[in-house]
Amino acid sequence: MTTTVAQPRTPTSEQVTDPGRPRFGAALRWETRKLRAQLRARALVIGAILAPIAVVLVVHSQPRPPKDTLFGRFATENGFAMALLVLGVASQWVLPLLTAIVAGDIFASEDQHGTWKTVLTRSISRSRLFWAKAVVAVVFALLTLVLLAASTIAFSVLIVGAHPLTGLSGQTIPASSAVALVSTAWASMALPMVGFTCLALLFSVWSRNAAVGIAAPVVLGLVMQLVGALGGIETLRPFLLTTPFEAWHGLLAAPRFTGPLLESVVTSAGWSVACLTAAFLILRRRDITGG
Amino acid sequence: MHPDSSTELAVDAVDVTKRYGPLVAVDNLNLQVAPGEVYGILGPNGAGKTTFLRMLFGLIRPDSGTVRVFGRAWADAGVQVLDGVAGFIESPRFYPYLTGRQNLEGLALLDGTDPTRSGSRIDEVLDVVDLAGRENDKVAGYSYGMRQRLGVAASLLRDPRLLVLDEPANGLDPGGIRDMRALVKRLTEGGLTVLLSSHHMDEVEEICDNVTIMSRGRVAFHGSIGDLRAMAPDPGHLLSTSDDARAVVLARELHPAVAVEPDGGGGLVASGASHLLSAYVADLVRADIELRAFTPTRTPLEALFFMLTDTEAEPDEPSEPGERFAHRQQAGAAR
Repeated sequence: MTTTVAQPRTPTSEQVTDPGRPRFGAALRWETRKLRAQLRARALVIGAILAPIAVVLVVHSQPRPPKDTLFGRFATENGFAMALLVLGVASQWVLPLLTAIVAGDIFASEDQHGTWKTVLTRSISRSRLFWAKAVVAVVFALLTLVLLAASTIAFSVLIVGAHPLTGLSGQTIPASSAVALVSTAWASMALPMVGFTCLALLFSVWSRNAAVGIAAPVVLGLVMQLVGALGGIETLRPFLLTTPFEAWHGLLAAPRFTGPLLESVVTSAGWSVACLTAAFLILRRRDITGG
Repeated sequence: MHPDSSTELAVDAVDVTKRYGPLVAVDNLNLQVAPGEVYGILGPNGAGKTTFLRMLFGLIRPDSGTVRVFGRAWADAGVQVLDGVAGFIESPRFYPYLTGRQNLEGLALLDGTDPTRSGSRIDEVLDVVDLAGRENDKVAGYSYGMRQRLGVAASLLRDPRLLVLDEPANGLDPGGIRDMRALVKRLTEGGLTVLLSSHHMDEVEEICDNVTIMSRGRVAFHGSIGDLRAMAPDPGHLLSTSDDARAVVLARELHPAVAVEPDGGGGLVASGASHLLSAYVADLVRADIELRAFTPTRTPLEALFFMLTDTEAEPDEPSEPGERFAHRQQAGAAR
């Protein structure tokens, strides 16, 4: 260390009486910058673009189509069916995992690195930091969904072809309408994905452990799918966070029905608000003793 | 103490208590730090120093009592309490996948400063802690001492009026300790208020004006370093002679004010005022007893520190320093 040590600045009266107060945007910039520097975030973005190409190529090269899967029967000969097949599989566990990798880690990594005390001894409040992290996690989830959807639809159509699609009721949907319907179906994943993001945020705050924050939402999602598949739980099914993943089915039926999509808004919003509120309260009341 | 234009106390902790289940980490602590003062909190590990500093920074909440910083309390002012305050708790921690500069830029953002405008200030503080040239290396590759210095740089970035350092020399090599102390001393010369926690008496003695000694969450002493020195026992020396038995007898007969007792390690320990020890050593030589070693065991203040904290740990066996200390405590409480 140098022996010629500079003196600290004498704070001016302006600094003392009106110190800079970090805006919410500053916390957002900081969280975004950290995320961009992380290898896992970059890998997820690249994976969201490239993985669908590999999946489409592999399924397309199969001699027999996966008939037991929704739209699987037509997946090897119709690009729109291929995009919907990928959507069905992705909604089972890929989408929850995709968002949990970042959201499940975003709070827990502060515990892992012992950096809560570093950031909370600055001029930013816990509340602003919490919301900045939540916004960044949600935006990242939506970004990866957009990339995954765009890549899947584009490469499905390019590799398999853009032919008229056979709907769930056996009706023929012209290719021009199919593009919009398939895109809307993918877009309907946004709300439950935000719900899973908030669930991962809650586990991240509560457990202080990235592994729990990432794995727990995925496992819980699989459990909810199992529960949803059971008979005799019709009253419970609308409240499961995995139910909105199936809301798009009505778009591909004849006549078309959108009730499940409206229900998915309520379900996803309910889960999101409940998880975020719980996570916020836990972080607000928590004693930062580690690190 | 260096008076400041502000009459508000830099730190004013009143009846602060923090419990973790049955464990009382901080027990009814009262502590005041005046502006411009260099204040030490001393105590063994687990004494409650870090818990108190965490409460000061708002990282944990006291169960009872209030901590005010420049007149602001967390309950009323929230994070504004930290305006003009900087420092670190235990070892400073950073994001290992970012460079030192990126870490500082991010922290500047969280201070409400635009990093594009704080760039020169970052250069300045990096230079102060001698990290210029290494700022673009990832923190993952930094040594412990470099991280410690980056912690000081991150603190200085806030242009603090109060600098809180929790065991800043912990884990540093002797050169690093010397440089860290030099840095803190130079910073205090500019009128900065410093609250320094340590479990090294010599560190506090070298840097601080006033000190609070904590033991098991309670205040064991507070007052000036001068007051503390006045309470310090006579220095002890490790003694090795050619005939330890005769050396003990000689002390008993000729120097009753010098206590000479066998040491567990095989030699003797001699305690007494410096001039009496000198006379005793001279008599040893005159009596043809070879003096093979004469080494100070611990400084008087170190000895006092151990006595104070040990006394607190064993309340059923009060000793003289403990009794004196109670008097100090009462005097301190009246401040």
